[in-house]
Amino acid sequence: MLDNKGQIRIIEAFLAISVMFSALVLTTPMSSMPDLEKQGTLKKLGTQVLIELDNNGTLGKQIQSGNWTGLRQSLDLLLPLGVFYNLTVYDENMQRVNTQEVVNSNQQGLEAVGIQYLCVTQNSDTRFYTILLQLAWPG
Amino acid sequence: MDKKQNSGQVILIAVLAMALILLSAQVYVFEVQMSAVNLNSNPLNDYLFAIKLGSRNVVVGSIANASGGGSRTVLMANLEKWVALVEKQNQFGRTALNYTVEETAPYSSGIWLFWGANGFGVASAFAHFTLNLSDREVDADLSYLINVTTTLTVEGTYRTIKADEKQVNVTVNLLNEDKPALAGQVTLYYRVLDSWLVPNASNNCAVTDYGNGTYRASFHANIPSQTVEVSVRVQDQRAIFVQANATCSQI
Repeated sequence: MLDNKGQIRIIEAFLAISVMFSALVLTTPMSSMPDLEKQGTLKKLGTQVLIELDNNGTLGKQIQSGNWTGLRQSLDLLLPLGVFYNLTVYDENMQRVNTQEVVNSNQQGLEAVGIQYLCVTQNSDTRFYTILLQLAWPG
Repeated sequence: MDKKQNSGQVILIAVLAMALILLSAQVYVFEVQMSAVNLNSNPLNDYLFAIKLGSRNVVVGSIANASGGGSRTVLMANLEKWVALVEKQNQFGRTALNYTVEETAPYSSGIWLFWGANGFGVASAFAHFTLNLSDREVDADLSYLINVTTTLTVEGTYRTIKADEKQVNVTVNLLNEDKPALAGQVTLYYRVLDSWLVPNASNNCAVTDYGNGTYRASFHANIPSQTVEVSVRVQDQRAIFVQANATCSQI
C-alpha cells in the first residue's frame, strides 16, 4: 500500500504539470495574432488609427504645430499594448518633417509593416503631408 | 480516510483553478486589446475613406482661407495639389482622382461667400470628385460630393431706456452643414454713426452660450439713431469665417 501511494502522488504531479502546460500552450496562440493574418491585421490597425486621428483634424494640427509628444501620446492611446510603432512625416517634397522620433520602441529584428497615409491640414494654411507608419507585433 | 489521500486531489483542484484563472485573464486582455479597433473592415474601404477624408480637409482648409480674405482660386489650387498627391499612391493599383468645382450660382470657382445685411451670412465650398482605382484585382469607381458650409443667422431687438440709451439683445445661430455648431470666436459690433464699436464691460455686456451653436448677447449703449444696427463676425471651430449684419427691431 505504501508503494502505491507514492505512485499516485507521481501521477498527480504529472497531471498537475500537464494541466499547467496545456493552459500555457492553449493561451499563447490566443494572445498573439495568427501569423498569416498578422501583416493584414497590422495594416488595418494602423490605417484605422490614422483615420481616427485625422477625422477631427488632430493629426494635421499636431504635425503642423510640431507637437511630436502629443502625437506619440495619441498613438500610445489608440494602439493596443505591445504594438511597436515608428512614424515618419514627409512634406510635399518628401522632406522629413518630424524633428523628433515618434517611436515607442526599437523594432530591430521584428517583422514590420508599413502604412502610407496622406494627411491634409484642416486650417486655412493648407498643408499636405505623407505619413509613413511602421508597425510591428512581437507575438 | 485519510487526510493524506485527499490532499493530492485538493492540490490538483487548486492547480486546475489557477490554470483557469490564468486562462481567463489572458482571454480578457486579448479581447480588450482587439476591441480597440474594428478589424473586420476592408482595407480598400479604409483607403477610400481616407481619400474622401483628405478631400474634405482640402475643401475645409480652402474655404477657411477664402473666407478669411484669401483668393477664391485657393480651392482649385489646393485640389490640384491633392489630386497630384493621391495619384502618386499605388497601394491598390493605379489611382485616378478627378474633381470639378461647383460653378452654378451662387457658387463661383466652388466658393460662395455672402455677408448679408439681413442677418444672414454664409461661407461655403462645394466640389465634385470621381475616384477610379484599377489593377488586376480591383476595379472601383467612386463619385462623391464635398460641401462644406458655415451659416450664420443674427436677430436683434432693442428697447429705449432713456434718451439715446438703449438695451440691445442679439441672438446668433451658427450652423455647419445645417447642423448646430460651436463657434471658435464670436465678435459683436454695434453701429454708432459711422463707427462700429465692440460692446464691453462698460456696456454691461453679457453673453450666454447655450452650447448648441446659439449665443445671446445683451448690452446697453448710447445710440443716437433710431436704427440699431449690429454686426456679428464668427470663426467656427474649423477656422471658417462668416459675418452677418442685422437691423434690430424695437420692442
